[in-house]
Amino acid sequence: MGQMIRRPSSCKPQLAKWLKAWLKGLLIAFPVAATTACQAPQSQVDNRFPIGAVIALTGNYSIIGQDQRIGLELAQQVFSKREPKTELLIEDGGSDELTATNAFRSQISRGAIALIGPSNSQQAFAADPLADRAGVPVVAASNTANGIPEIGHFISRVSAPVSVVAPLSIAAAIKLNPGLHRTAIFYTQDDAYSTSEFKNFEIAAHKKHLEIVTVQRTNSGEMDFQKQINDNLSLKPELIVISAGPSDGGNLVRQLRELGYGGPIVAGNGMNSPNIFPVCQRYCDGLLIAQAYSPELATPINNSFLKLYQQRNHGATPPQFSAQAFTAYQVIHQALQTLQATLPKGTTIASLPLQDLRQRLNRQILSGTYATPLGDIRFTPDGEIRQNNFYVAQVKMNPDGTTGRFRLLP
Amino acid sequence: MDDLLQILLNGLSVGAVYALFALGYTLVFSVLGVINFAHGAIFTLGAYFTYLLIGGGVGSNGLLAGFQLPVGLPFWLALPIAGLLSAAVALGVERVAFRPLRKRNADPLLALITSLGAGVILVNLIQLLMGAESHSIPTGSLGSLPPALSFGGAHIRTVQVLLLAVSTVLVGLLTAWIDGTRSGKGLQAVSEDPVTAQLLGINSGQMIQIAFGLSGFLAGIAGGLVGLSVSIAGPYFGIGYGIKGLGVLVLGGLGSVPGAVLGGLIIGLAEALVPSDLSGYKDAVAFGFLFLMLLVRPQGLLGKPLPNKV
Amino acid sequence: MDTTLLQQMLLGALLGISVYLPLRCGQLSLATPGFYAIGGTVAALLSTRITALGGDGASYPISSVLLEMAVAALVTGILALGIGKVVLRLRGIYLAISTIALVEILRVVSLNLSFTGGAIGIFGIPQPFATPEAYVVFTSLLLAVVCWLCDRLERTRPGLAMAAIREDELAAASQGINTANTKLLAFVLSALVAGVTGVIAAHFLNSWNARMGNFDASITTLAFVVFGGTRTWLGPVVGGLVLTALPELLRPVGDLRLIVYGLVILLGPVLFPQGVITPERLSRWSRMLRQRLRLEAPTP
Repeated sequence: MGQMIRRPSSCKPQLAKWLKAWLKGLLIAFPVAATTACQAPQSQVDNRFPIGAVIALTGNYSIIGQDQRIGLELAQQVFSKREPKTELLIEDGGSDELTATNAFRSQISRGAIALIGPSNSQQAFAADPLADRAGVPVVAASNTANGIPEIGHFISRVSAPVSVVAPLSIAAAIKLNPGLHRTAIFYTQDDAYSTSEFKNFEIAAHKKHLEIVTVQRTNSGEMDFQKQINDNLSLKPELIVISAGPSDGGNLVRQLRELGYGGPIVAGNGMNSPNIFPVCQRYCDGLLIAQAYSPELATPINNSFLKLYQQRNHGATPPQFSAQAFTAYQVIHQALQTLQATLPKGTTIASLPLQDLRQRLNRQILSGTYATPLGDIRFTPDGEIRQNNFYVAQVKMNPDGTTGRFRLLP
Repeated sequence: MDDLLQILLNGLSVGAVYALFALGYTLVFSVLGVINFAHGAIFTLGAYFTYLLIGGGVGSNGLLAGFQLPVGLPFWLALPIAGLLSAAVALGVERVAFRPLRKRNADPLLALITSLGAGVILVNLIQLLMGAESHSIPTGSLGSLPPALSFGGAHIRTVQVLLLAVSTVLVGLLTAWIDGTRSGKGLQAVSEDPVTAQLLGINSGQMIQIAFGLSGFLAGIAGGLVGLSVSIAGPYFGIGYGIKGLGVLVLGGLGSVPGAVLGGLIIGLAEALVPSDLSGYKDAVAFGFLFLMLLVRPQGLLGKPLPNKV
Repeated sequence: MDTTLLQQMLLGALLGISVYLPLRCGQLSLATPGFYAIGGTVAALLSTRITALGGDGASYPISSVLLEMAVAALVTGILALGIGKVVLRLRGIYLAISTIALVEILRVVSLNLSFTGGAIGIFGIPQPFATPEAYVVFTSLLLAVVCWLCDRLERTRPGLAMAAIREDELAAASQGINTANTKLLAFVLSALVAGVTGVIAAHFLNSWNARMGNFDASITTLAFVVFGGTRTWLGPVVGGLVLTALPELLRPVGDLRLIVYGLVILLGPVLFPQGVITPERLSRWSRMLRQRLRLEAPTP
C-alpha cells in the first residue's frame, strides 16, 4: 500500500490487482461479517432507550421524509436531555414497501422500544403488521389513509386521518367562494393515501351538494398533465380538488394555472409541505390545504418547537410533517416517563425485559394525554388520534415567486 | 376539429421528449449493440446542471446545502452548457462501464449491468450532494413570454412549444451531421459493420466516444427542458422516461435515428388519445405497442432486418 | 445474523435461479418479476379470500401454502407456455425488452384491477409460521430442492441441450436438438420457480401489490445472475444471496450505501466477466480444499 502511494507511475496495474483482491476478499468475508456484525443488542444502547424511526430518505417520498427527519432530530435535541434517556435511531425506509419492511425489522432486532414511521400509508400497510406481531409499539407520524390504526393493537398514529381533515378544506373553499357548484377532482390512483383521501373528498363534496363534473386519475411519478387539464377545463369547473404527492401535485397546480384555470384549488395532505413552493412557484398562491398543525398555536411546547425549528432553518415556518414527527417522538418519550413513574418501588423500566417494556409502553401510549405542538392530543383504544384543533391554510407566495408560507384562515 | 388539434399538440409535445430520449439510446445502440441504462441518470444530471447554471441554490439538504454558483446564466445559455457537461459525464460512463468490458471482449450483455451500476451511482451521488427535494427552474426563465399559447381554440403551454422546437432543431442537426459529414458517415459505417469499418481505417473507439458524447448532450438538453417544464422532482426524476424510452427505441427500430423520432411521436400521440377514464392504463400504451411491434416486425418500424444470430 | 435478512437472501437466490434458467440456454428473459408477482398474487388472493384454507388453528396450515404453490405453479406454468411460444421467437436484446414490456404491462393492468386490490394491494396475508426462523427453514428446503433439480437438469439430456443451444443454436439444431422446445422448457421452469417464490414472499411480507414486480426488479435479478455467474446454478444462488444482503449490510455507511452498491454492480462484471462462480473456479477451489484437508489430516 505505502509503496503504491509513493510510486504513482506503477500504480495502475497494482491498483487493479488490489481492487480485485479486495473484491474477492469482500465476497468471501461477507457471510462471516454478516454473522458477527449483526449481533443485535437486546437492551439499551449506552443506558439509553432506543426509539427507532423509519422514514423515507430516498425515493419519491423523501420529500416528506426530509421534513420528518428535522422534526425527529429537534425532538431528540429536546427530550434526550430529560429522564429517561432515549436515543433516536433513524433508518432509511425508502419509498417502497420492501425497504420499509427491512428497516422495521432491523430496528426491531436492534432493540427499539418503539417505532416511528414509515413515511407513507402504502408502506405502513406492509410494514406495520410485522411490528404488531413482534409486539413493538408503532406511532405513525404521517400515515393518513383510513385503516392504519386498525392494522393492529400496537399501531397508533399522531397524523389525523383523511376522513377528518379532508372535508375542512372543501368547507373553507365554499365559505370563501359562496355559490360554488361544479367540482373536478384529480387524484393519484396508484397510491394508498391518495385513493383513500379521494374517497373522503368525494363524500365531503356530496355532503356540501357540490356536483362532481369529472374525476381525473393520475399515476404517481407522472408530471405532464396537459391533456387531462384540457379535458377537465372544457367542463368549466368552479372548484378543483387535488389529492397527490408534493411534486406531481405541485406540477398539476402550475399547469392548471398556466393553462388558464383561475378558480379556487383545494389540495390534500400530500402537498402539505413548503417543498411544493419551488414546484408550482408563484402559481401556488391561493392554494387551500387543511392543516393538522398551526405554527401560530401559542403553547409553551409549540413555542419551543417553533424556536428550535427556526434556528435551524433560517427562520422558516415548520411544516406539518415536521411537527407530527416531533409529536410522535414526544408521545413515546412522555409515555416512557410516565411508565417509569408508575412502576412499583424497586422496579425500573431498565430492569424490565425488553418485550415486557414494549407491551407496557404501548398501553401507556394509548392511555396518556399529551400537550404537543399539535395541541392537546390523546388516543382512542384503537390507536386513532383524538385532536382538537384543525385549521385550513391558504398559501401566500412572496413576490419573488419561489418562497411563501401557509397562512391560516380565520 | 379543436379537439383534434389539441390532441395533436399534446401528443407531439410529449412525444418530442420521448424522441430526444430514445435518440440517445439509439446512438449508443447503433455503435455498441447494447442499451445504456445510465441514460436516465444523465438526463437527470442535465436538469440539475441547468438548474445550477442559472444560479439556482441548493436547499438545506445534502453535502452542498446552501451552495449557489456565483453567476446566474440566462436559460438559453445554461441549457447548452448543461448539455456539454452531461456529454462529459456520458463519456465518463463509457470509460468506466463500457470500455473495460470491450477491452476484455466480454459478453455485451454485461454492459446492461455495469451501466445500471453507473446509473445507480450517479443518482445517489446527486442525492448525497443536493438532497432529494424538488428544484425548479423559475417560470420567469422564458422572459416575457406568456405561460400558454392558443392556436385556434387549442391551448398549449409555451414551455411545451419550446420543447417541440428545440427537439426539431436538434433532430435536424443530428440528421444533417450523420448524412453530411465524414464523422457522421463513419458512425454509420461502424454501426453497420464494425470490422469492415476498422479495415477502412475508421477509428471505432473514437466513433463510440462520439456516440456517447452526442447521446449525453441530447439527454442533458432534454433533461434541462423537461426540468423547465415540470420542475426537477428529485434524483429519481429520469427513471420513468428511461423505461418508456426503451419502448420508443424498439418501436422505432433499434439503432435507427429517424425510427427513434417516429417512435417517440407515435407513442406521444397514442398516449394523448387514451381517454381520461382509462388514464390508469396510459403507462401500458408504450409497452403494448412495443410488444405488438416485436411480434409483428421485430426490427421495429424503421430498423434493419435482424441477422440470424445475435 | 438477522434471520429476516437471511430469508430475503434466500428469496433472492431463488429469483436468481429463475433468471438463470433461460440464460443457461442463451435466452435473456427478464420476465421473472412478472411471474413472481403473479405467484404472490395467487397466494395473497387464495389465503385471504378462501376461508377454508385457513384451517382451524391459530396459524395458517402449511398444507395450504403447498396448495397455493401448486396453484401458482399451474397458473405461471400455463402463462409461460403461452407467452414463451410467442416471445421466444425473439432473440438477444429484443427478447429482453419484450419481457420487460410484459412485466410493465402486467404491473399496470394489475394496478388497475380491483380484485388484486389495485394500488393498495392485498394486506393481512395469514402467517403459516410464527417466526422468521421457520420461514428460513422452509425456504432453505425449497432452495435445496430447486438447486438439486437444477443440478440434475444440468447433467441430463435437456440440460445438456440447453448448454448446446447457448454455445451455438444453429449447430445444436443441426444435431437434432429441438431448440424451440428446449428454450420453452427453460422459460417455463423459470416461471415456475418465480411463481413458487412469490407464494412464500407474499406470506413472508404479509402484504402484496403490483409494485412487487417492476422494471427495477427485472434488472436487479439480472444483476444476481451476471454477478454470480451464468454457467452453473451455484452462480445465481451466490449472486442472489450476496446482492440481496449488500444494501442491508451497508446500512451502517448511511447515505453512501446505494453508491457503494452501485460500485459493486459496476465493478463485478468488469473484474469477473464470467461471474464470480464459474465451473473452472469451482473445481480449482475444491482442489485447493482437498489439498488442505490432506495436509491437515494426520498421516497414519
